[in-house]
Amino acid sequence: MKRWVHRTAGLLPTAFLLLLLILAGAQPGAASEKSFLDEVKAVNTPFDNRSVAQVLPVTQPTVLAKEDYQGGSFRVLARKQEIERFKCSSCHTDKEVRGKNALELTHGNVVVQHGREGNALSCIDCHHPEDRDALEDKKGRKIDFDHSYQLCGQCHFRQKRDWVGGAHGKRVENWAGDRVVYNCTTCHDPHSPKFEKRFPVIYAVPLN
Amino acid sequence: MREKKIDQDQKSENPTEALEEKSSRRSFLKGLSIGAAAVSASLVTGCVPDVGAATSEELKLRWQEFFKKNYRLMTQDEKDQTVARLERLASLRDGMELQIGTEPPVEQVLYGYAFNITRCEGFMECVSACINENNLDRKTNTQYIRIFEMEPGKLDPSEGNGNFYHEVPVENKFYMGTQCFHCENAPCIKACPTKATWREPDGIVVVDYDWCIGCRYCQAACPYYGRRFNWGESEVPKDEITQKQHYLGNRKRPMGKMEKCTFCIQRTRKGKLPACVEACPTGSRVFGNLLDPDSEIRYVLKHKKVFRMKEELGTEPKFWYFID
Repeated sequence: MKRWVHRTAGLLPTAFLLLLLILAGAQPGAASEKSFLDEVKAVNTPFDNRSVAQVLPVTQPTVLAKEDYQGGSFRVLARKQEIERFKCSSCHTDKEVRGKNALELTHGNVVVQHGREGNALSCIDCHHPEDRDALEDKKGRKIDFDHSYQLCGQCHFRQKRDWVGGAHGKRVENWAGDRVVYNCTTCHDPHSPKFEKRFPVIYAVPLN
Repeated sequence: MREKKIDQDQKSENPTEALEEKSSRRSFLKGLSIGAAAVSASLVTGCVPDVGAATSEELKLRWQEFFKKNYRLMTQDEKDQTVARLERLASLRDGMELQIGTEPPVEQVLYGYAFNITRCEGFMECVSACINENNLDRKTNTQYIRIFEMEPGKLDPSEGNGNFYHEVPVENKFYMGTQCFHCENAPCIKACPTKATWREPDGIVVVDYDWCIGCRYCQAACPYYGRRFNWGESEVPKDEITQKQHYLGNRKRPMGKMEKCTFCIQRTRKGKLPACVEACPTGSRVFGNLLDPDSEIRYVLKHKKVFRMKEELGTEPKFWYFID
């Protein structure tokens, strides 16, 4: 009996030590503090977009944006070719336009729902009062239809900041290659910029 | 190169002949055991198809497909061969001209995804685009993406409504999408008993559909309900099939396999955006290279309030939600 006690007394501390070692090795807290994000954030050399060999360039017409993106340049989808009856100056000449129902026939489709109630925008808030082929901002600068973000950004400066950085709006087709982004007016109707309510294109099914 | 191989194969039309081309002892035994295994397999599961219906070439190709390796163990040559077989099989069976790729990951790329819960309005264009791009089964309505209509203040999609169908957006609700999050520390990979699912070097978690045994352990392990099980071969109208495919992506999955979002691997490895990102009408979806400090995804992570779902689990998803 005594011998047995002696033996176990010698074993107990070793078993305790072993248990401690196992516990120390399997501490979950210590392992999860290190994140792959630390490695991600440590990468500061820009990625060479040309290393993606198979990327196809965007085929839609684009213009070089008059903004800086992360110290470089980027391109924006052009707008003018999308505007029906552009150039506007083909009708809006020096002479007064005098057709019967001319306004209704040519611009009857335009519904202006832009700006809060009581503060709704009118045509010349954005369109240039003299040169119909251009826009005009509040400082009186002439703005090209292809660069409308310069105009929209006067009020929607937060959205513009996000758009330049890439948190608002979206890129066209590719994540790699030259950066080409959607224009403000590709998605938003400038006259009624809010998206209309509609039914979803598809419904969800219960999970299997 | 591929055509040449198929020509060679056509010479020996009988599958047993093909196996005995080299008549060493080793190959003889291999052929014998393979034959025995196949006979028993066909008896048990009925996997080997009706001999009368298939041409001998098709039969031979299916035979060879049955004994290929796990994708990760294949040499490029073997990958090319299996892809050539799959393409030939598709043209023999369905008259489809497919281009199945095996594009490797791009160096110095780790894909990341961000979802803007302020902007999403629940139009479900992403879901529809995903179905078309990935040849998802139309019969059972498989969908990789789910959009939940959420009450303000709630951030757990299990409390949202995932089955809404009414005009959207609804006042004072917001919309939150889920899909496979491509975790860096993915529980589904650990759960797989056959190593049929793994993380690629560019961070995409993929499935080798021919190596998956359909046990659905991974589905049980995923805390985000990101995986889908197919109960049958996908039924897609012929003119709606996306022909540009990837071995690990949207190619035809056999019956009883696990499938899920692959960040549209067939597109992203060629520099294109995933189908959901391209389809999104509100710009709520941001996709890019996490290892590029100039990418949009890095901009979002740096400048926006971001969170990930069930972050406390330590799964490290590469899918962030952000608000404007």
